[in-house]
Amino acid sequence: MNIIETNKLTKSYSDFMAVSNVDLHIRKGSIYGLLGPNGAGKSTIMKMFLGLMQPTSGSFTIDGKSYPTDRLKILSEIGSFIEGPAFYGNLSGEENLEIIRKILGLPKSSVSEVLDLMGLTEHRKRLAKKYSLGMKQRLGLAGALIGKPPILILDEPTNGLDPVGIHEVRNLIRYLPKKFECTVLISSHLLSEIELMVDDIGILNHGQLLFEGTLDEFRYSAGEKGYSTDKLEDTFLTMIEEDNRKRGAIR
Amino acid sequence: MSICLEYKKLKRTGFLPAFFGGGLLSAFVPIGNMMFRSEIFVNSPEPALKILFNANWQMMAMLNLFLIVIGACIMYHTEYADNAMQKMDALPIRQSSNFFSKFFILTVSIIAVLAIEAASLAFCIHHWFSLYDEFAIELLKSIGYAAILAVPTLILMTGIASICKNMWISLGVGIICMFVATMIPKTNFILSLFPFALPFQTLWDTESTRIFQFICGVGIETGVFGMAELIYLKVRRKFQ
Repeated sequence: MNIIETNKLTKSYSDFMAVSNVDLHIRKGSIYGLLGPNGAGKSTIMKMFLGLMQPTSGSFTIDGKSYPTDRLKILSEIGSFIEGPAFYGNLSGEENLEIIRKILGLPKSSVSEVLDLMGLTEHRKRLAKKYSLGMKQRLGLAGALIGKPPILILDEPTNGLDPVGIHEVRNLIRYLPKKFECTVLISSHLLSEIELMVDDIGILNHGQLLFEGTLDEFRYSAGEKGYSTDKLEDTFLTMIEEDNRKRGAIR
Repeated sequence: MSICLEYKKLKRTGFLPAFFGGGLLSAFVPIGNMMFRSEIFVNSPEPALKILFNANWQMMAMLNLFLIVIGACIMYHTEYADNAMQKMDALPIRQSSNFFSKFFILTVSIIAVLAIEAASLAFCIHHWFSLYDEFAIELLKSIGYAAILAVPTLILMTGIASICKNMWISLGVGIICMFVATMIPKTNFILSLFPFALPFQTLWDTESTRIFQFICGVGIETGVFGMAELIYLKVRRKFQ
């Protein structure tokens, strides 16, 4: 059963097509990796899911609810982390999470739980603006994870983290569906970064969906097209280069 | 709940000290004036409160306006500075509710400032004049009228601050509007309805027939600016 489905989702600007007729199918309880180079449309799709951007055409449903009719109901089911951490710099980490907790109507214990989960308990009283980049990233993730939402949308969540932090966040995300019974949509521009944790992937380039399916299906599909499948990262990059070459030829 | 949340967001922004300090500064205007020039005022035959309002209100209203401008700017600066606004947009809460909560807090803050100013005026009358029977009612009426006339400025300035991501732009717009208001002649009714000019009006120099017209004007302007903000929030979402 799909928890998120899009139908010819499109976002265009006067001279630029950011997302073009994208049909995504994200299974409930899965980790779905949205892959693509910078400017492929990953963040745009995620922002549309959160109502931060308006689709030009097409539609999507999240947990059976359609946008824009059920916007607030959709948002109450999603924990999100988009384009880096967003917080009140004048408040401490704990106070920032307290605001989110109150809006979501969660129990008081949810703040300490998520601070603990993200390793921020020790720094909870420090002002968010005085956090290091990695700690701000963790605070942003804590804001997404608070209250164990059924759907998590994470836009390049490991940006700015040190290798240990990246490893910790990867491990955390890998076990989220089991631990919190949630569905995770995560974006990255590197397949190698997410191939160990995702169940399904969607590859985007210039706003178009080039591939959608499991990693095994990706391997099989790439093999059929004659790409090397020894290293999936190389296969992914070859697929993007090939698509760019075709676009160049069309132009 | 939204008002409580908005209040919490103001922690460590300097909002409360700014209003408290600004209120004290404004309250010092009539006291300072009386301390240095009391002989000019105490011999005047007019009611004490009218003398004090005529002598000090322009400066006090200017300080109140300045507090409204910086208060609104501080409130929305916290939203935009570290991108908190985006996080709020991705949570199940209406932006309109945040806006009206901010407007409410700003209104309560300016009422607190007016209360400090009222205390200062009462002190001046007690110290340099003499308290008379109708004094408390007259003072309440005058300060209440000032509070009512400040409402369009409060909602308009909150709206301006909500539109501008860069605090310096909203601050600049507010300051320009303040100075434009000082150039508007108080005797011209239509021009006096400019939101930033309204707080300069006092109950003492307004004809009784005009008072009702000003209050109607305030109601209409507040409704229009409130609706304009709701439309702006809808349009902003559409074009994001």
